[in-house]
Amino acid sequence: MEAVLFYIFAIGVVVAGAQVVLRRNPIYGAVSLVACFFFLAGIYVLLSAHLIAILQVMVYAGAVMVLFVFVIMLLNLKEEELGEMHVTTMKGIGLAAVLVLVGFIAWKALTPVQFARDMAVNEQIHGFGGVKAVGNVLYRSSVLPFEVTSLLLLVAVVSAVVIAKGKI
Amino acid sequence: MMTIGPVHYLVLGAILFTLGAAGVVLRRNAVVVLMSVELMLNAVNLTFLAFSRFPLVQNAPMQGGILQGHVAVFFVIATAAAEAAVGLAIIIAVFRSRTSINVDEFDSLKF
Amino acid sequence: MEVNWLHLVPLLPLIGAAICGLVGKWLPKGWLYAVALASVLLSFCIGVTAFSNLEGENPQIHELVYNWFAVGSLHVDLGFTLDRLSGALVLVITGVGFLIHLYSVAYMDDDPGYWRYFAYLNLFVAAMLTLVLADNLVAMFIGWEGVGLCSYLLIGFWFDDDAKAYAGRKAFVVNRIGDFGLMIGIFVLFTATGSVNFAQINAAPLTLGLASAAAALMFLGACGKSAQLPLYIWLPDAMAGPTPVSALIHAATMVTAGVYMIARLSHVYVSAPGVMAVVAIVGCLTALWGAVIGTAQNDIKKVLAYSTVSQLGFMFIGVGVGAFFAGTMHLVTHAFFKACLFLGSGAVIHGLYGEQDMTRMGGLRKYMPHTRATFAIATIAITGVLPLSGFFSKDEILAQAWHTRAFDFLTLTPSGESHLTWLGFVIYAVGTLTAGLTSFYMWRCYLVTFEGEYRGGTDVHPHESPWPMTAPLWILAILSVLALVLGLPESWARALHLESFNWERFTDGMFAQVRGGPPREGSLLLGFGIAWVVALFGGLTAWTLYKPGTSMTGDERFARAVPAVHRAFVNKLYVDEFYGWLILRPTWRFAKALWHWVDATLIDGLFVNGSAQAVEWTARSARRFQNGNVQRYAAVLAVGVAALVLVFLVRG
Repeated sequence: MEAVLFYIFAIGVVVAGAQVVLRRNPIYGAVSLVACFFFLAGIYVLLSAHLIAILQVMVYAGAVMVLFVFVIMLLNLKEEELGEMHVTTMKGIGLAAVLVLVGFIAWKALTPVQFARDMAVNEQIHGFGGVKAVGNVLYRSSVLPFEVTSLLLLVAVVSAVVIAKGKI
Repeated sequence: MMTIGPVHYLVLGAILFTLGAAGVVLRRNAVVVLMSVELMLNAVNLTFLAFSRFPLVQNAPMQGGILQGHVAVFFVIATAAAEAAVGLAIIIAVFRSRTSINVDEFDSLKF
Repeated sequence: MEVNWLHLVPLLPLIGAAICGLVGKWLPKGWLYAVALASVLLSFCIGVTAFSNLEGENPQIHELVYNWFAVGSLHVDLGFTLDRLSGALVLVITGVGFLIHLYSVAYMDDDPGYWRYFAYLNLFVAAMLTLVLADNLVAMFIGWEGVGLCSYLLIGFWFDDDAKAYAGRKAFVVNRIGDFGLMIGIFVLFTATGSVNFAQINAAPLTLGLASAAAALMFLGACGKSAQLPLYIWLPDAMAGPTPVSALIHAATMVTAGVYMIARLSHVYVSAPGVMAVVAIVGCLTALWGAVIGTAQNDIKKVLAYSTVSQLGFMFIGVGVGAFFAGTMHLVTHAFFKACLFLGSGAVIHGLYGEQDMTRMGGLRKYMPHTRATFAIATIAITGVLPLSGFFSKDEILAQAWHTRAFDFLTLTPSGESHLTWLGFVIYAVGTLTAGLTSFYMWRCYLVTFEGEYRGGTDVHPHESPWPMTAPLWILAILSVLALVLGLPESWARALHLESFNWERFTDGMFAQVRGGPPREGSLLLGFGIAWVVALFGGLTAWTLYKPGTSMTGDERFARAVPAVHRAFVNKLYVDEFYGWLILRPTWRFAKALWHWVDATLIDGLFVNGSAQAVEWTARSARRFQNGNVQRYAAVLAVGVAALVLVFLVRG
C-alpha cells in the first residue's frame, strides 16, 4: 500500500515539476507547480510529516502560489513577450554539472548505507511529525530562530510593498 | 521494491532538485525561474524529512534531535514565502522599468 | 696621553661652517669673516698647544670621542690621535688655512656667494683635520670623503658656468674611482688584521699577499686624491675654482692626503715592497709627466696645477722608496711655497680683473711689487735653489731614491741578488731631469708674468692687492724660506744648533723601516752639486728663452722648431682625449646600449608595459565571466558546487 502510494505521488511530482520547467506559458507552470506541491504533500504524509504536509498545502499551494498566479496575471504577458528557451554553452555546462552532481549523489546514496531504524514505525515515537511533537521542538529548542523568522517575514512584507509600489 | 526506504525519497528529491536547477539555468522568464527555485527548495525539504525519519545516526536523541528536520523544513517554508514575496515584488518593479521579465536582459549588474 | 679637548680642533671649523652656511647670508659681512677666521685661528692655537706638549719618544695625544659602532669583530671608534706627523699637518692645515681665509676675505669680498664660500672653506678645514687626526681608517675615510665633497663644491663654486660645474663633477667622478680602491683596501686591511685602527694595523703581522693587495688598492685611492697617473686629470681642471681654493685644497692640503695616508700606513707598505716600487715608479712618471705638460701651458693656474701634479709625484717617490720622512717633509715645505705661488697667481688674476692668460701679462713687477717679490721667493724655493726649503726637501727625496735599499728586498735571483738595484738610480735620474724641467717652467712662468713689458689690454690697470692678500703672501714666503731648517743635513744642523728642528730626527720612530735596510751611504755634496747645477741650468734656459727683450719668446721658437710636439704639449699630451676615447666613449656606448636594451626594451617594455598588458589581457578574459547575466552566474555556481562536492565525495 505504502509503495503504491509512493510511486503514484512520486510520478505526479516528477511530471508536474517537469511541466513547470518545460511549459512555455508561466500560468500553466504555476498550475503545474500547485499540483506538484499537492503530490509532495502526499509524499510528506508518507514520511509521517503530517504537520509539514498541511503547511505545504496551506502555505505553498495556498498562499505562495496564489501570489505567483496573481503576479502572472498582473504582468499579463503577450505571447510574443514570453520568449524562447535559450540554451547557451554556459547554461548547458551548468546543467550538465548539476546532472553530474545529482547523479553522483544518487549513486552514492544508492550504495548500501547503514541507516538507522525507521523512527516513525519501529521506535513508536508517539505522534511523530504531529503538531504536538514538532511544536515541542520548535518552541523549546528553536525559539530564537522562530522569532527571527517572524522578523524576516515582517521585513519581507515591508520590502515587498516598498519595491513593488512605484512611489510611496 | 515494495518496501519504501530512505533511498527512494532521496532519489525523488534529487530528481526534483535537478528539475528545479534546470529551470533556473535554462528558463528566461523570471517568474518561472522563481518557481524553479521553489522546486529546488521543496527537493531540499523532502531530503530533510527523509533524513528526519531515517536518520544516519544511531541512538539519535529523542527530544530536539529527530524532529529538527521538521523544524528546518518549517523555517525553509517561511523563508521561501518571504523570498517569493520579495522576488515577485522585484519582478514587478523591474517589469515596470524595463517592460520585460527576461532574465538575460538584466545584465547591468557588471559594473 | 689621553685628553678630552682634541676634538675641538676639527669641531671649531665645523661649527664655523655651520654658522656660515646656515645663517651666513643674513649675518653682517664683518661678523661672518670673524666667525670663519676665528674658528680656524682657534683651531690653530689649540693645535700649537697640543704640538708643544708632545714630548718624549714618539709621543702622541689621543682622544676617544666615542665608540661609533661595533658589528661583530668590527669596532670603529671616533678617535683622534695627534702625534708629530699629524700634529705638524694640523699646524699646516690650520696655519695655511687661516692665511688663505684671510686672503679670501679680500679676494672674495665682491662675490655674492661669499657666505657659501666661507662655509665650504671652513667645512673643508674641518674635514681635512678629521682626515689627519683620525686614529682609524674609517674615521679617516670620513675626512677623506669630506674633503672630496668640499673640493667638488668649491671647484664648482661658480656653478653658473657649465665648464666649471663640469670640472667639479670630473674631480668628483675621478676621485670615486680612487675611493673605490681605498674602500676595498680598507676592507682587505680589516680582513687581514681584524682592526681598522692605525696603531693595531701597524702592529699586526701581514702576509706579503694581503699587504700587497691592501697597499695597491689604497694606492689607487691615493692616486685619485693626490692626482697621480693615471687619475691626475681632474686636478688641472680643478683650477676652475676660486684661486684661494686652489691654493688650500688643490696644492697645500687635500691633494697631499694620499702621501699622508701612505706614510700613516708605512708598516703596510713596507710589508709590500712590490707595491712600494709601483708607488715610486708612478710618482716618478707623474713628476716627469706633469713637468713636461707644465712647460707649455699659458694659463698661469694651469702651470701651477701641473707643477702640483709634478711635486706630488716627488712626494710619492719619497714614500715609495721608503723615505717616508722625506715625502712628508716635502709635503710640508710644498704646502708653504705652492700655497704662496697660488696666492700670488690669485693676486695677479685679481689685479688684472680675472685675466689668467700669461701671454697677456708681463711687466707686473712695476705694479705689484709685493706679489712679485713673494712669487720670486716661492719660485726659488720650488725650483730647488740652495738654500731654500724646496731644495732640501726635494733633494732629500732624490738622494734617498738614489741610495735606497727598499727594492733590494725584491730578491728575484736564486743567488740572493736583486734585479732591482738599478731602479732607485733610474728614479733618481728621472727625478733630477724633472727637477731641471721644474726649474725651467717655473722660471718661465715668473719671467713671462712679472718681467718685460705689459702686454694686456689698455683698459685694464694692474694694481697691487690690499693687505689681507699681501700679508699671507709674505708670511708664506718667509715660511718657505724658514722651512729649510726641516731639511738641513744633520752635520750642518748640528753646526747651526738647529738639530731639534730636523724633520728626520723629529719623526724618528714614527715610520716603519724598509726591509732592505737603511739607504746606502752616499756623498752629500755630490747630490747637492748635481741638483744645484740642474736647477741653475733649467733657470738659465728659461732666462735665455724668455728674458725681457727677446724678439721671439721661447714658446714661438719651440712651436717653430717642433710644431707637432709643441701642439701635443699645449694640448696636455691629449690625455683627456685619450681617456675619452678609451673610457668615456665605450662607457657612453655601453650606457646607451643599456638604456636602449635593458631600460627601454626590457624594463619599460617587458616589465612595465608588459605586466600592464598582461593584466589588461587577463582582465579582458576575466571580463567575459562577469557579463551581468544572472543565469550564467548560477550556472558557474553550479559547476563550482558540483566540483566541490565531487572533491569531497571522491576523497570520502
